[in-house]
Amino acid sequence: MAATETRIVTQRLREFPQDSWTLKRYLDSDGYRAARQVVTEVTPDETIALAKDSGLRGRGGAGFPTGLKWSFVPKDVFPKYVVINHDEGEPGTFKDRELAEMDPHQLIEGITIAAWANQASKAFIYCRGEFALGSRRMDAAIAEAYERGFLGKGIFGSKFDLDIILHRGAGAYICGEESALLDSLEGYRGQPRLRPPFPAVKGLYGQPTVINNTETVSTLPHIVNNGVDWFKKIGTEKSPGTKMMSVSGHVNAPANYEVPLGTSLADILELAGGMRDGRPVKAIIPGGASAPLLTDTNIPMDFEALKEAGTMLGSGAIVFMDDTTCMVRNALVTAEFFAHESCGKCTPCREGTWWKVRILERLEHGEGRQEDMDLLLDICNGMDGRSFCPLGDASAWAVRSNVKLFREEFQAHVDAGRCPFDDEHEQLVGARAGGVGLGEAGIGDQPAAGIWPDADGGA
Amino acid sequence: MADGNGAPPPPNDGKVAVTINGQTVRTEKGRLLIDVAEQMGVFIPRFCYHPGMKSVAVCRMCLVQVEGQNKLLPACATPAADEMKVNTVEENAVDAQRGMLEFLLINHPLDCPICDRAGECPLQDQTFQHGPGSSRYIEPKRTYEKALEISDLVVLDRERCVLCWRCVRFSDEIAGDRFIQLVDRGAGTQILTFNEEPFDSYFSGNTIQICPVGALTSKPYRFVSRPWDLETAPSVCTYCSVGCPITNESRSGKMVRVQALPNEQVNDFWMCDKGRFAYHHVSAEDRLETPLLRTEEDAFQSGPWGRAFATIAEKLEGKSRIGVIAGAHLTTEDAYAIGRLARKTLKTNNVDSRIQDAGAPYELALPVTGAAGSNARLDDLDEAKTIVWVGPDPKEAMPVLYLRLRKAVIDHGARLVVMSPRAMSLDSIAQDRNLTEVGGEAAAIGALETEGPVVVCWAPSSPGRDETAIARAAIDLARSTGGKLLVCPPHAGSQGMLDMGVHPGLEAGYAMVSEPGLDTRGILAAAAAGELDALFLFGADILGDFPDRALAQRALEASPFTVVVELFATETASHADVILPSAAYAEREGTFTNLERRLQKLEKLLPTPGSAKEPWDICAGIAKALGEDWGWRDFGDVWTDLKKNVSTHANVDVAALAQDMPASSLQYESPFGETAADTHHAPVAGPGGQYPKGFRQGAPFQTGQNWPLSWELRAFEAEQRPGFIPPTNGTGAAEGGLPASEPSTSPTREAGTYALLTGRQLYDEGTLVSKSAALRRLQRKPFIELNDEDAKALGIDDGQDVVVEGNGAAFTTRAVIGDIVKGAVFVPYDQVGLPANQLISDSDPIVTLRPA
Repeated sequence: MAATETRIVTQRLREFPQDSWTLKRYLDSDGYRAARQVVTEVTPDETIALAKDSGLRGRGGAGFPTGLKWSFVPKDVFPKYVVINHDEGEPGTFKDRELAEMDPHQLIEGITIAAWANQASKAFIYCRGEFALGSRRMDAAIAEAYERGFLGKGIFGSKFDLDIILHRGAGAYICGEESALLDSLEGYRGQPRLRPPFPAVKGLYGQPTVINNTETVSTLPHIVNNGVDWFKKIGTEKSPGTKMMSVSGHVNAPANYEVPLGTSLADILELAGGMRDGRPVKAIIPGGASAPLLTDTNIPMDFEALKEAGTMLGSGAIVFMDDTTCMVRNALVTAEFFAHESCGKCTPCREGTWWKVRILERLEHGEGRQEDMDLLLDICNGMDGRSFCPLGDASAWAVRSNVKLFREEFQAHVDAGRCPFDDEHEQLVGARAGGVGLGEAGIGDQPAAGIWPDADGGA
Repeated sequence: MADGNGAPPPPNDGKVAVTINGQTVRTEKGRLLIDVAEQMGVFIPRFCYHPGMKSVAVCRMCLVQVEGQNKLLPACATPAADEMKVNTVEENAVDAQRGMLEFLLINHPLDCPICDRAGECPLQDQTFQHGPGSSRYIEPKRTYEKALEISDLVVLDRERCVLCWRCVRFSDEIAGDRFIQLVDRGAGTQILTFNEEPFDSYFSGNTIQICPVGALTSKPYRFVSRPWDLETAPSVCTYCSVGCPITNESRSGKMVRVQALPNEQVNDFWMCDKGRFAYHHVSAEDRLETPLLRTEEDAFQSGPWGRAFATIAEKLEGKSRIGVIAGAHLTTEDAYAIGRLARKTLKTNNVDSRIQDAGAPYELALPVTGAAGSNARLDDLDEAKTIVWVGPDPKEAMPVLYLRLRKAVIDHGARLVVMSPRAMSLDSIAQDRNLTEVGGEAAAIGALETEGPVVVCWAPSSPGRDETAIARAAIDLARSTGGKLLVCPPHAGSQGMLDMGVHPGLEAGYAMVSEPGLDTRGILAAAAAGELDALFLFGADILGDFPDRALAQRALEASPFTVVVELFATETASHADVILPSAAYAEREGTFTNLERRLQKLEKLLPTPGSAKEPWDICAGIAKALGEDWGWRDFGDVWTDLKKNVSTHANVDVAALAQDMPASSLQYESPFGETAADTHHAPVAGPGGQYPKGFRQGAPFQTGQNWPLSWELRAFEAEQRPGFIPPTNGTGAAEGGLPASEPSTSPTREAGTYALLTGRQLYDEGTLVSKSAALRRLQRKPFIELNDEDAKALGIDDGQDVVVEGNGAAFTTRAVIGDIVKGAVFVPYDQVGLPANQLISDSDPIVTLRPA
């Protein structure tokens, strides 16, 4: 059976790519029905119960049950805030970006449901600074929603007020970490906060704060409209619903694919048109650059199965690498990313990410030593679980899995005193404009011109 | 301290049982594991944790194993919970410690041989204790421009920095000035001043002291000494009445460094830059070394003490009209000696110590506090719901009191009410800011509503100005609200002088004098009128400090015989007939009484230059020459006499006042196989132990002694430290028995005149502070400040030169437009070339202004 998508949050944008972001299109497809219904007919507690019963889990990476997260928010402390983590920066991930660019009203409706459930009258969208088109379309959508009374004072004719403020970040991956996001939103240097207190209790400006991912809240209107039972029939028992998978790397059709959780990697690869030039799969990053590598596509993509396989679903960014990929270079590119994005707050992450890059650079450039592989693993052990926030831990997982799974390739670099892939790389670079490794992994179905429209300060 | 052995724990004591490395203690729930361990004698290595600041848990050095947790937890950010089992020495924790040190060292330059911090460096010490012996890092290190001078006092070396954020947190949390920041990110993260502005903080030196590496070093101390060459003695800062405990440190007999000693009841862990960097006067070249006597030819000739005392005795023969003025940088013992000399030997009540604060009516507090001083302690600020500040800007006059007020407001939620005719540092944290008319504070205080507990702080604000009504209102507020009063006299010795009866109307111990003598102004006026036979000035630079320089000048010129006891040949001293060289504070054993009436001890570090003597010894010498042998040979003798004669001090245990040097009772295994305590005569006696002076001299390489970190260990004694002087039962003392304070009148000023406000700035031309070259560079350019509207009316622009004229003196200076009440002009005290006290003649000083 040919693999197919199950489109829920991407249904509209796939069907109407010409105008899926407009209010007209959104209203034509039953838009804002769910938000209107919860705000006018459902109590906040019932809304939280709905989220809980649905089994919806966060789509940002950690997979934390959304309803449970909401239930931690104290009921009697005001003001409360809802913050949308739209700082999508995990290498290989481009799903939230597409949702905001192509279906911003779906996001706004989802935010409205989350805000109602938590009785927060102010919501913030923390938008990755580079998302120019998305932020312009969200701005326009927010303005339209205000105009229609979907936002502002007494939304949908109720007594509930809701303001949404779009805030553009300034280009730091760490601001996708929720407490660093809050610091950045407050105008401070984006660095993770010491916990406890947790954001649900003391978050933005010291007030109870719910932080949800764009894809997570975009799912909410569909759960409200179609019911919990419908939602739970999709996906697996513990990971219900669909997940957008950002597929990139050496595949023929890199793009976002929305599939039920639990869909196998092989099926997703098939959706993405298979491997480029029919080459074999060498390694897969299943959940963003932080996730340890897989080598086998015969695995269901859900939170539990990947955890069991020693890796994670993360944000659902899948990078397929074929046999032309140098895994030392892959480790180097990944390590460079984390070194560049380390905030510098804690010792192991600041120094460890930097050190690993130095070693991997030597290895890749033929100056590796026999002891470097063990040293890399040791540095990873010194960071994992000892860093202040998951950024440091994740940087350790990523490099560690490269060394562990492809140690012989590292050894080959040491033995040869050069990168064995260099010749092949030269040929590839000559043949295609693309490169190998993560750096140039592209996005298939977005014309470049549409991604970077003229910067006219739309925000 | 309860230990968990055997008997079941007492129920409901609010404590939890925590086991660390197999040893169980009961401790307060929520206390940080790092502190719990420390109290048990288990030292957990750390860089970012500092007990005076909030935990950030960034250095990851204090990771420990907590049973049931799958990750190591930072002990500095993990609160104690019941049944918690902690291990600081198991394999994973030890591996983490070694790993963190390896991480920290990969980019550290290891330039210990040329680093000021080496030998007292927490990074060095902890690497010896917990670090790997060598590094596996072979690549080039991160480099930055070395030795960046970020101010005239602080030098920054970013290569040595381990990014513990202590300086940044200090600047943000404690000083509140945020001068020093983190910039850039990741491995490029650096400490820097923002926008390359200078580190222009009054508290910058604290960042040097708490820096756990040699990243922030002191410019005046740079390359001056190695720690093991230093001799150190605990002392008390001499610059203001807060009385921060400090260490004086010398090398080869010369003062080279001052550091803050921790006392969470006084200064926490901090001190101001003036206290820290204004030590140069002690070892200044121009200290007076021998007595100087005026010759027939009107020149000074040095002579032996015997001749000096004999000359004094001879000149005083048959004379009874004498005035004695003492400066307030002298110790409690000096104060006692001066009081005794004046009253018992010279038989005069013409004795006073209030010079800059001349006429300040401290005695008004007697009925409320039982002393001419406070009944509040600094710790009371932390308990207060309302704090009322009536006085000058404490950041300029008493910087660490500013920090305590800030802490009370920010950490403990006190409501701060500020009354002043001029904007000040406290405004930014005050909930209630009253910019009053000059003298209008009194009325504003009367209208105040407060929520208790209340602490009313009153400090004389503008030298020369009669502030009796303000003082009365402040004291009344404390009384009517049942609150406490914090009286803030200006100098380190001020309170001791009052306690010891260096006051025309109060004897030592606050007995009333039946016939009050003349106060400072009275003495000077009498001298100027030729009504005094002799004038004694003990550390009293009346020309520099008294708020009517012309009167002081006339007094000195008219006085037939003047004795000056001084450190330096001041202009005042040049008018003397006999100049007697005094010991400086670092050269003496003694006590200062701070503004909360706490006695704190100074230890002798250095010998006096030449034959200089301690002021109490000079008093005894004069008395002996006049036929009275007090029998005093040392500090102990003074106290024996003092306790006998001063009821309030009868029960003081001077021995208990000895300040602990920061001595850890935690012993480290020395890398040389013995404990540090065995190897070096290090002060490991712990709280209460005597500090062996000069223990560092000649000691071998002392890494592993854990010296600098021991400065940051908490003092765990719950009870107050000794040294508070009990109040008298003077609560019934009638105000009528006191020298009458002139009622404050508010005469309508003539058009074109302005009320003159003066006040101290931290860095001024004072005799002692001006000996520090670095601090002189930090002095503000002389200026006067006036209100925007007044400036407009006069046609004066901000920064324009103006002529300020008063009391017959005129100066041209720069005008600054500031937040000051209309009709008033602020002229800082002690500016170069602009002695504000020359503009003052009476108790409502006025000046005129015109564009230059």
